[in-house]
Amino acid sequence: MIQCTCLVQEGQIPADTEAALRAGLDDFTTRNFNAPAAINWIEIDKGSGFTAAKPSTSSIVSLAAHAPVEQSARVPLLKELCALWTEETGCSLDEVVGVINDPA
Amino acid sequence: MPLYLCNATAGAISDDAKEKIAADITRIHCAVTDAPPIFVHAFFREDAAEMPLNGKTVFLMGSIRAGRNDEQKSRIVTEIRQSIHDHAAIPPDDIVVMIRDTPASWVMEGGDIMPEPGEEAEWLAAHEAQKPAEHA
Repeated sequence: MIQCTCLVQEGQIPADTEAALRAGLDDFTTRNFNAPAAINWIEIDKGSGFTAAKPSTSSIVSLAAHAPVEQSARVPLLKELCALWTEETGCSLDEVVGVINDPA
Repeated sequence: MPLYLCNATAGAISDDAKEKIAADITRIHCAVTDAPPIFVHAFFREDAAEMPLNGKTVFLMGSIRAGRNDEQKSRIVTEIRQSIHDHAAIPPDDIVVMIRDTPASWVMEGGDIMPEPGEEAEWLAAHEAQKPAEHA
């Protein structure tokens, strides 16, 4: 399993979009890391998320790779991950933070 | 990135205090690192199992881009702890603030890999320059 943490703002992502994102993440990790996604979906309560000290509309999607990822591979993977978010949610690229962590 | 993720016991930090602490976190991080405010995310949670409080009232983890020195990190920790104390009236001993380094190259924001510390101005200029082309 690839651990995926998704931090999203309450009320921003409808249930059907969440389901599509979960399916998309699972497909993404299965294709690229040979393992399904273990998704920790966390909604930040209204009034509890801030970006630049203002109410946040940002999502943060963080994956933990099982093995170190070459930077030449990481960049297209991050682009695909962020594109999944913008395509499914309609948000802008400025509202998505993607992270692919190497193992500690 | 940075992401400052705060967990606290339910009701310990009011919505009003969250807003003030988030403003302080943004100001402190930018003052210490010269990063632009738009990079700074501050999210608050309550009784989150993934962030054990271990008997404390507040646990705040700051994930920042690697490359800041110990003095900078120490100042961030000290000033954020003070902000939480000031705005939420929580004793400093009940507040844990930690900083974790994340390589900038592991993070994409705005469709671009994050800049290394000190390269923010060039990154922002290049990022802004891309926008008209994206919408053309």
